Amino acid sequence: MMTLVTGGAKCGKSHYSERILDGFAGKKFYIATMEPYGEEALAAIARHRGLRAGKGFTTIERYTDIDELILPGDGGRPAGVRNSGCGILLECTANLCANEMFRDGRICDPTEKILRGFRHLRDISSELVIVTNEVGNDGISYEEGTAAYIRALGEVNRLAAQTADRVVECVYGIPVTLKNQRK
Amino acid sequence: MMMITGGAFSGKLEFARKHFELKEDEVVCGADCGLADVFTAKCVDHYELVVRRLLENGAGQEAPEAFTERFIRENPEAIVIMDEIGGGIIPLEKSERLWREQTGRAGCRIAERSDTVIRLCCGLPAVLKGTLG
Repeated sequence: MMTLVTGGAKCGKSHYSERILDGFAGKKFYIATMEPYGEEALAAIARHRGLRAGKGFTTIERYTDIDELILPGDGGRPAGVRNSGCGILLECTANLCANEMFRDGRICDPTEKILRGFRHLRDISSELVIVTNEVGNDGISYEEGTAAYIRALGEVNRLAAQTADRVVECVYGIPVTLKNQRK
Repeated sequence: MMMITGGAFSGKLEFARKHFELKEDEVVCGADCGLADVFTAKCVDHYELVVRRLLENGAGQEAPEAFTERFIRENPEAIVIMDEIGGGIIPLEKSERLWREQTGRAGCRIAERSDTVIRLCCGLPAVLKGTLG
């Protein structure tokens, strides 16, 4: 089961995403993709840690290469006894996309790699929630790197929505369901 | 008239092409089509860029509001695709502000005159007005 949660900045995506996993009985992992650089990032990380406190998440900081992620404890175990019944919340695709794109001073196309990562997470969990962001709504013509980033995140979002069982857009904390194939 | 909106790269044109089985030559792009083509095309993509070009051409050019009224009147069956551009910070540049305003107004008029308005997000259509046949 995979849910994609989207929306603009500060629209209640995180809070809503955590609520999906509130009643989840199994082990819960939070994959944080934001690199802790700068004051604002640190403040955002501290705020999100506060929101998650006491909710039973194990935090994994992972800025790239989601497709190769091995959950803590799964490393030496055979496939059958891994955390396959776990819940995973990944936040946020916008950071992940930037981290994958702007590596080693080059601009890479991150789409295929990120989607492979999402499918991998879906395969190793029973409840997956992916948080993403809407960045193409201001009509501004940006320089090449930023324009490429807006295009790439749009593509990642469209492909992730195809893969997801459920897609929800948050508007000031109100969840609007765009797709629901949950059985 | 039918309007399809949503953010940049949200899957608007792809949706229109599939849903209405549009052929390549039935779609004109506001970025570079002849302005007169807007009045006869089956589908106009990037109408927000038509507005931009009308503003850039300046004096002697029909104002966007009058142009849009004529578009609605002369091509009432058109499928109009328009980026949602009003989000974020109000631009510092006056011409950018004017473009946003004029695009917003044009969009409101087109939505008002459309039987159906669709908004794409992550490639998924949501019906804001009317029904999707």
